[in-house]
Amino acid sequence: MTDATAYTRPKYVGQPVQRLEDPRLLTGRGRYTADIQLPRTVHLAFLRSNQAYARINKIDMEDARAVPGVIGIYAAADFGHIPDIEAPSKMENYRATACPVLARDLVRYVGEPVVAIVATSRYLAEDAAALIDIDYKPLDAAITARDALAENAPKLHPELPSNIILERVFATGDAPADIANAPHRVSGRFNLTRKTSVSTEPRAYLADYDAGKDELTLYDATNIPGIVRDELARLLNLDGNQIRVIAPDVGGSFGGKGSLYPEEVIVADLARRLDRPVKYVADRLEEITASSQAFGEEVEATLAFNADGRFLALEAEIIGDIGAYSIYPWTAALEPVQVASFLPGPYKTPAYRGRARGICTPKPPTGPYRGVGRPMAVFAMERLVDLAAAELGLCPVEIRRRNLAGADDFPHRIGSGLIWNRSGFQECLTAAEEAIDLPALQAEKAAGDKWIGVGFASYAELTGIGSRIAVAPGMPMNTGAETASVRIDATGAITAKFGISSHGQSLETTLAQIVAEELGVKPEDVRVVHGDTAASPNGTGTYASRSAVLGGGAAIKTTRALLKKVRRAAACLFDVDPDQVETGDGRIFVRGTNHSIDFKELARVVYADTTALPMDRRETLEAQETYDPFLGTTSSSTHVAVVEIDPETLAIKLRDFVVAEDCGKLINPLVVDGQVHGGVAQGVGAALLEELKFDETGQPITATLADYLVPTSAEMPPMHIRHVETELPDNPGGFRGMGEGGTIGATAAIANAIADAVSHLGLEINSLPITPNKLHALIAAGATQ
Amino acid sequence: MKPAPFEYVRPETLAEAVTALDHEDAKIIAGGQSLLPMMNFRLAQPERLVDINRIVELGQIEKTESGIRIGALVRHAEAARSDLLADHFPIIREAMPHVAHVAIRNRGTIAGSLCHADPAAEWPLLVTLLEGEIEILGGNGPRKAKPAEFFLAPLVTDIEETELVTGIYLPLPDAPCGMAFDEVAQRAGDFAVVAAGALVCVKGGQFAEVRLGLGGVFDTSVRGSALEKALTGKPATTEAIDSALPLAVEDLEPNDDLHASAAYRLSLVPVLARRVLTRAMKVAAT
Repeated sequence: MTDATAYTRPKYVGQPVQRLEDPRLLTGRGRYTADIQLPRTVHLAFLRSNQAYARINKIDMEDARAVPGVIGIYAAADFGHIPDIEAPSKMENYRATACPVLARDLVRYVGEPVVAIVATSRYLAEDAAALIDIDYKPLDAAITARDALAENAPKLHPELPSNIILERVFATGDAPADIANAPHRVSGRFNLTRKTSVSTEPRAYLADYDAGKDELTLYDATNIPGIVRDELARLLNLDGNQIRVIAPDVGGSFGGKGSLYPEEVIVADLARRLDRPVKYVADRLEEITASSQAFGEEVEATLAFNADGRFLALEAEIIGDIGAYSIYPWTAALEPVQVASFLPGPYKTPAYRGRARGICTPKPPTGPYRGVGRPMAVFAMERLVDLAAAELGLCPVEIRRRNLAGADDFPHRIGSGLIWNRSGFQECLTAAEEAIDLPALQAEKAAGDKWIGVGFASYAELTGIGSRIAVAPGMPMNTGAETASVRIDATGAITAKFGISSHGQSLETTLAQIVAEELGVKPEDVRVVHGDTAASPNGTGTYASRSAVLGGGAAIKTTRALLKKVRRAAACLFDVDPDQVETGDGRIFVRGTNHSIDFKELARVVYADTTALPMDRRETLEAQETYDPFLGTTSSSTHVAVVEIDPETLAIKLRDFVVAEDCGKLINPLVVDGQVHGGVAQGVGAALLEELKFDETGQPITATLADYLVPTSAEMPPMHIRHVETELPDNPGGFRGMGEGGTIGATAAIANAIADAVSHLGLEINSLPITPNKLHALIAAGATQ
Repeated sequence: MKPAPFEYVRPETLAEAVTALDHEDAKIIAGGQSLLPMMNFRLAQPERLVDINRIVELGQIEKTESGIRIGALVRHAEAARSDLLADHFPIIREAMPHVAHVAIRNRGTIAGSLCHADPAAEWPLLVTLLEGEIEILGGNGPRKAKPAEFFLAPLVTDIEETELVTGIYLPLPDAPCGMAFDEVAQRAGDFAVVAAGALVCVKGGQFAEVRLGLGGVFDTSVRGSALEKALTGKPATTEAIDSALPLAVEDLEPNDDLHASAAYRLSLVPVLARRVLTRAMKVAAT
């Protein structure tokens, strides 16, 4: 007889479970879109605009058509049946832009696709592209957002009233008056230059059309397969059940694969027209010049405070250089409006006025990028906080302690209307302070051999956002719900399907941990299916730090529903009450009895055995539930950067880095730490290295990875992570999102550390990235004043 | 980013290579670390690629009576590993980790770096500092070029399209000496903003020979001749080095580019010159 009490119910949630996807990915057995080979595939290349803003006079394709292997060459007129891509929003003072899938009449940025060439190989397609001659008439354009704002600036979209396509104001109290009357105030104009995602895997699409069934399968390196499916159906005039979008292994997105692109639409359409699989894999040049870009913002802000350093009012003007088009589905409001709504941060500032405007310029569209809006908001605010501390001679920790919302302040509404629920603002600050030896660093700084700087940054972010709040302002789409279905099949194997997708978040592991824990099996027994529109009737994908909260919540809700069925069926088999049935370690048992079967046996009994259970008790072992947190949950953190600058060469070394964060209950500490490490790396890039530059005619001049510099492992500091768990948020798992925080805090902490290191020179660090070369220029300018 | 069509030839011997290069538009491919990106951007569209990787004799490092010969195909990683090189020219082992990244050092070749002639690259600086000779073979037979004759301008050398570099010859210094290398780059592995190498011989407490090589501050790698002259014969002290440093920037004309202004580059020259000269002096004195 088996002793049923021997079965355990180990805790998987919270444990450092090794990633289930690692054996596949680390041995080169991952299957990315470019790896998928289908018979008769043809390859797509684009000829892209080499002009920032110009009229297309004539396109000569004659020589190109003669290149062997060329199957078709297409321009805008060949896609007249496809509506322009437009990102709608209910936001007032917003104008959508019309983005044709290939540039029609006008090109609006260098890199915009103008001609699509299909050939039997990518090489031949590019040979043909090199023979196509486009006659452009360059047009006057305002390249910078400041110039494009001017009243008489040439309009990028002639049909729109101006280049300003969105404006939104947040106001609580009378900030301008309070600032005017305040005893102290600090101001600055802060600038976060444009970045791009630089995923290891570039964007890639492969469309496979089944003419017999009139069905289209699109393999797509995207993190929003559901959104792509839904919009493709509309643009191509198909039903959703005729399109399946599969995001196989995806090698990073960071936001760059999180919007709908013209190339996706063209690949899908051409596969149907040619009745052949069509493949497009972006190269690095295209990735840098024609995938969505990030930031490009300027914030002019003033913070007023009293003699105790308590904040009184904050006012900000935000200008977003949103590029040529308002991107689908997020709109161009995503970035600049989020800067305005998050600017007050985790602090208690009674009065606020923030105005965000989005300006069209002839550059690639901006889109989501890890951190969205908050890296800029936190950079500006945290610089102001340090400037305020310096004005009063307060320690940067102390001024934050005085102003961060404390345990008794929650729920805390900030001046933009966002509401923070309980999160460890103060606790993270304390944990971060304790992780470094501030007096020792200050003594080393005073010695003066090296310029030492310590920088703090505290922030709060809204994660796991429910249906009450749109992820992007006014977006007519519910991004607040996720559906899971968990099934036990006839072999007793467990499959959990989700509408979310993974592009590096380890969701195959963390979601399996959750399902395993709820069902009473091992994580490796659970096969997670995601990134496939066939897996879920509705699902928007993985973005906005939502998948742990929403996907995890749906996993819990669904698995609990399935467990009820399991217990009902087993109870009938054992002839006991369902409440007596327990599960654990892959067994289904009744404590203190010899009733014990495994899931395989249960599946056999339910699906195959026609005698063990009465017919009406053989219920399908599958459940499907949707989870919607309605509101969001507040994640928070304090980052500390320690920098060392060589006074002679101005080389900047990040010596140490601390992250103290409250992400609620950890599902897997290995995964959380990995997310923090990666996020901080991108923050390092934003603060010290990464900058997309354009010349005065709008030509990109950082179009390779030799010129657009991303951090490597050699540039990364040692990282010390402290997990702070305050009262858990009100969602099924007690999870908070934590996919973006590393990027949000690191940028500002590094900026503050550098400002601290050069404080004896009186330099202002207000534009990022800051490099040794720029420091040299700042010092030289200071010396000549 | 796919190259334009090209013809591919892979000779097994030097003679075959010279024959293959007798063509209107041929390019040699060895490590491919500079040429292939340019071909993928279609900035370079050679009609014929001559792959010299099979020519075994180009891959040797050999000691001769008066110096060391390094074959054209020797990879940066091989040069870094070579004890023979490290024994006589420890600066090479010191400089190699600054050449890009591991994967690039495993494929990229010495001759490739010399022929690419980036003024901030390490090998042009090293042969300039070490007063090496570049060995060249063409249809008219072999010839040799000194660095000052070989490097003409950024990315421009004296080599004809029908010729190939077969190796470099580095003469052993006349007397025991100290060497040191340093550079400032924005990230580990990036092209140097400024690179500096020094070779110093000390005799009887005086500088018997001083060489300073600089990269990233002129159209080609250069020698700090004015500083070298001023220091030779002076007492081997840090004070002497410090007082000569202003001469290090004489006649330099660095360019502004995306990553560094001319002013920033110039500001680094005395700093790096002092560091390498001081270090080389200390090594020479021991």
